[in-house]
Amino acid sequence: MQIYLVEAAFLVILILITCAVIFCKDILSASIIYSAFSFCAVLLYLMMGSPDVAFTEAVIGTISTIFFVASLKKIDRWCE
Amino acid sequence: MIKLKDPFGGIILNVAFRALVPFTIVYGIYVLCLGEFSPGGGFQAGALLSVGVLLARLILGSDAKFNIAGQTSIVMAGLGTFLYAFTGWLTLFGGADYFLDYNYMPVHLEPAHEMHALAIFMIEIGVAICVMMTIINLLDSIVKMGDDDGRTE
Repeated sequence: MQIYLVEAAFLVILILITCAVIFCKDILSASIIYSAFSFCAVLLYLMMGSPDVAFTEAVIGTISTIFFVASLKKIDRWCE
Repeated sequence: MIKLKDPFGGIILNVAFRALVPFTIVYGIYVLCLGEFSPGGGFQAGALLSVGVLLARLILGSDAKFNIAGQTSIVMAGLGTFLYAFTGWLTLFGGADYFLDYNYMPVHLEPAHEMHALAIFMIEIGVAICVMMTIINLLDSIVKMGDDDGRTE
C-alpha cells in the first residue's frame, strides 16, 4: 500500500515539475529543472520494475541537459 | 577543429572533471561487458563513454587534449555500424540461413551459448562505438550552428 502512495507522490511531483518548466522564464533554470524531471522519471521507472529503462533515462537525461546548456551559449538566456 | 568560444572553465569544474571522468569511462566499459546479466548494454555504454568527451569539450574548450574532433566522429560511427553488419555477415558466411543466426559463427566454441555470447558482445561493441560517436557529432553540430550571436554564416 505504501508503495502506491510513494508512486502517487512522485507522479504529482512530476506534474508540478512540468508546470514549472513550462512557466519558467529563465531558459537555463528551465533546463536544470528539466533534469529534476528526468530524475523523478528514473525513480518511477525503478518502482515499476524496469531498471534498464531507468538507467537509459538517467544517462540520456544527463546528456540532454549538457546539450541544452551548450546550445544556451548561442541564444539569449531570458525568453522575454 | 570546431571551436567553443570562451568555455565554461574554472578551477572547481576542472578538478571535478578530472576526478569524475575516469570513473564514468570505467563504468561504461563495465556496463558494456556485463550487459547480458545486468541492466545496461551497448546504447547505455556508448552514452556513458561519450560523457567524458562532451565534458572535456564544454569545460576545457577547443584546446582540450581529451577530444575527438570533427570528421573522426562520423568515420567512427560508420565503423561501429560496420562492426554490427560484419558480425551478421560472419554468420552468413558460416552457413546460416538468416542474418545474425548466432549458431553459425565461424569460431566454434563447445557450449552453444558461448558462441552466442561472443557474437552478442561484438554487436554491443559496434552499437557502443556508433552511439558514442553520434552523440559527439551531435554536440559538434550544435556548437557549429552559429557564432556567438546565434547567426549562421
